[in-house]
Amino acid sequence: MDLHAIAFWSFSALAVLSAFGVVFSKNIVYSVLSLISTLIAVSGLFFNLGAELIGALQILIYAVAIVVFYVLVISTVPQYKGQAVDPKYMLISIPVGFVIFMELAYVSIYGAWSSATGIFSPEVIGEVGNIKAVSSMLFTKYLFPFEVASLILLVAMVGAILLGRKEQVMEEGK
Amino acid sequence: MSIPYEYYIALSGLLMVLGLIGVTVRKNIIAVLISTELMLNAVNIAFVAYDMKLNDVAGQVFVFFILTIAAAEAAVGLGLVMAIYRLRKDVDVEKLSELKL
Repeated sequence: MDLHAIAFWSFSALAVLSAFGVVFSKNIVYSVLSLISTLIAVSGLFFNLGAELIGALQILIYAVAIVVFYVLVISTVPQYKGQAVDPKYMLISIPVGFVIFMELAYVSIYGAWSSATGIFSPEVIGEVGNIKAVSSMLFTKYLFPFEVASLILLVAMVGAILLGRKEQVMEEGK
Repeated sequence: MSIPYEYYIALSGLLMVLGLIGVTVRKNIIAVLISTELMLNAVNIAFVAYDMKLNDVAGQVFVFFILTIAAAEAAVGLGLVMAIYRLRKDVDVEKLSELKL
C-alpha cells in the first residue's frame, strides 16, 4: 500500500460520499458545500494521476469561480420550501442508473483500451514536465479551439447579463 | 503507478450516474444545475485517466475546454434561474410547464 494507493482510495471515497451529499441533501446550501468537497477531491485525483495543470485549474476555476456563482444565486433566490427529491422518479432512476453504470464499466474495460497511444510517454513527460507538454499542444494544434473558447466565454457573459438584468421600463418620452 | 486506470474509470462512471440520478430526482432547479457540474467532473476524470493510460495530453486540453464550457454554462444557467425566479417566484421544475401541451 504505497502513497498513490492511499491517496486514490481516500480521495475517491471523499468524492463519492460528497457526491451523495450533493444529490440527496435537502438543503441547497449543503449541496453546494458538498460540491466544493467533491471538486477538491477530484482535483486531488488529478494531482495523483500526474496532471498538475488540470488539478490547479480545477481548484481555481471550479472550486472558486463557479461555486461563487452558485452561492451568489442561492443567496438571492429565497429558500426552496418544497420536497427535495421526487420519490416517484427515485424508484425508476436507481435501477436505470445501475444499468448505465454497468454499461459504462463494460465499455471502458473492454472497449477503448486498445486505441492508439500518443507520443507523450512518461519519459518525455518526466523530461519536459506536464504543464509544458499540455500547453505545447494547447497553443499549437488546438489554438483555434482555444480562441473559440474565449469567444464562448464572452458570449456567455453578455448572455448572462442580458438574462439576469432587471427589466426597467422607463417610459420618459410619453 | 500502482492503481489500475480502470479504477479511475469506474469512479468516473459512478460520479456520472450519481449526477444523472441528481438531474432526474431533484426538484429544485439550482440542484439540477449542480448535478450537471458533477457529471462534467466525471467526464474530466475519465479524460485524464485515459490520457495517462494512452500517453497523450490531448485529453487534458479537452478538460481545459470543458472547464471553460462549465463556466459559461453556469453563468447562462444561473442567469436563466434568476430570470425564471423573477417571472414565476418559484424554482420548482414541476411547476415550469408552460411548454407542455
